Amino acid sequence: MEIVNISTDVLIVGGGLAGTNAAMGASQKGASVVVADKGNINRSGDIGGGVDHFLAFLNEGQKWDTREGFLNYVEKIGRGTGHLSIIDSVYCAELPDAIERMAKIGTPLTQSDGTFFRTGSMGQPGTFWINFNGKKLKPCLGKAVRKLGCTVLDKVMMVDLINHQGTVVGGVGFHIRNGIFYVIEAKATIIATGNTNRLYENPRINPFNTWLCPFDTGDGQIMALKAGAALTNMEYMRMTLLPKGFAAPGFNALVGMGGRFLNSLGEYYMEKHNSMGNRAPRYEVVFHTLEEIRKGHGPIYIDCRHLTEKDLTHLMATLGYDKDTLPDYFEQRGEDLSAKPVAITVSEGMQAGPTEVTGSGIKIDKESAATVPGLFACGDACDHNRCVHGAITGGYKAGKSAAAYAKTISRGEDITNSMTRAKIERFMEPLQRASGHPYRQIEDSIRKIMAEHVGPRRTEQALTYGLEKLQRIEHYLDEIKANDLHELMRTHETRSILAVGKLMATTALFREESRNKPYHHRLDFPDTDDTNWCGLVVVSKDGEELSCSFEPITYG
Amino acid sequence: MHKCTGCGLCDSICPADAIYMQTAEDADIPYLKYPEECWHCGSCRQDCPDEAIEIEFPPDMLSI
Repeated sequence: MEIVNISTDVLIVGGGLAGTNAAMGASQKGASVVVADKGNINRSGDIGGGVDHFLAFLNEGQKWDTREGFLNYVEKIGRGTGHLSIIDSVYCAELPDAIERMAKIGTPLTQSDGTFFRTGSMGQPGTFWINFNGKKLKPCLGKAVRKLGCTVLDKVMMVDLINHQGTVVGGVGFHIRNGIFYVIEAKATIIATGNTNRLYENPRINPFNTWLCPFDTGDGQIMALKAGAALTNMEYMRMTLLPKGFAAPGFNALVGMGGRFLNSLGEYYMEKHNSMGNRAPRYEVVFHTLEEIRKGHGPIYIDCRHLTEKDLTHLMATLGYDKDTLPDYFEQRGEDLSAKPVAITVSEGMQAGPTEVTGSGIKIDKESAATVPGLFACGDACDHNRCVHGAITGGYKAGKSAAAYAKTISRGEDITNSMTRAKIERFMEPLQRASGHPYRQIEDSIRKIMAEHVGPRRTEQALTYGLEKLQRIEHYLDEIKANDLHELMRTHETRSILAVGKLMATTALFREESRNKPYHHRLDFPDTDDTNWCGLVVVSKDGEELSCSFEPITYG
Repeated sequence: MHKCTGCGLCDSICPADAIYMQTAEDADIPYLKYPEECWHCGSCRQDCPDEAIEIEFPPDMLSI
């Protein structure tokens, strides 16, 4: 096995939207940068194929359209799930620069006439969504990062961090096509690996047919946890609504343009259940949709027949920006939004934060630093960035902070020698086994257990039982056989998915209340308890065990 | 497929690592090695310089 050693100021694990923005931030502050990604940074990550929305306040005159108005919105839909002071620092303060940067790299958030096309949904007090054509956003970012001189390791999957006397000093990974192993020493390391999406049984059969990127498997959170970092908000099981058969995004476009949720009795049920109707927070819409289905009122549809021709044209275009192949899917399935309601369903569950503005994952502070020295985090892998807007702003912030931290570090000795050849060979072991279980068999079992026992209707008994089952599966991890490097990558993903499942069940058991139902819905504690539970469940490793504590959030 | 020149861009950018090149008579051509893992992100079709890629959804996705 060939081993390549690299030394850099800043290592970025994951080159999606957050990772590429982090690379720009670190590089523009003068740091040398290495970005490693399982895919190719030109098209990897959640929005690799395109995106159509960015959440922003623009100070265009209305009270809700200000920093204060935005933070009030965060408090309203995400009470107890994020510190406003951190969101203010990693998102609000970075926003003007982010909007300018996107235009500079060739993907402006404006329409061709220079104006912003804005819509409102998901409990917003106004129109925080900007619709834009982001089909080339990732290629533009990839080009910008390479132009800045960053070292890009495409198709390199990072599998662990290097810890030296309690400080993160880099990471290790392998090339998924040629098997070359990389040992990367870094003064600062940023995790930008996204959320966890192959975690729950998928209502559309194929576990890769997911709403968010199926190649985001929580790898970074688990590496950070092992290195001693704390995580928060891991109990929230995020879900959305999407077309039956194809887990394509589009919820915000459909609702933002005026789509109405319809049950099989012909009732527009959201208009009955919530004063904001179809534009209620996403978790409310998912909650009531699950209830409608449970009461036998399915199938459920999205009805867009009442939209004007102009709005329908915009809607179809923007749906295609968000998921390039969705218009093809509608055509091949014979769906026509203008002619009849389109059947939709509730998505799989995922580890992806409780709202669009508060996240889940590695616990960060106002400087995007994790709780372990040398480690930073951004995008969907951390607890205070969410979605496209969070990745672009928070990514750049993490890059700048990591570069500043790297400047304070000077090292003479080799601090990566703890990563011995024997340790490295352990990561490649599934390739050497003469026989063993396929990764998919283990992963399918995890998803089944998560759906049955850690789903949207939780109880102490079910969660305890689920956790026992997940622990039983753990014994099989060292018996997975990989036939090639592609399967080796999937095998490492399976390990991360199981670890995230255990984190979710453990933290869900700890939080004895319900919050943002159905994302955390305890049938044995069905109410939201702001007296005792308005805050974050913080989880970290204590030896081989997981340890939970509670961190309150207060509002002024 | 007749438009494909075998440049290998789709293989290079596929986020699923699902597209691989195989040796054909005249040149290397891409094939979908892991069709189940395709996320239908459309990156290959968008970036193909020869417009040689069409997306066809499988029966389960069009039926359920």
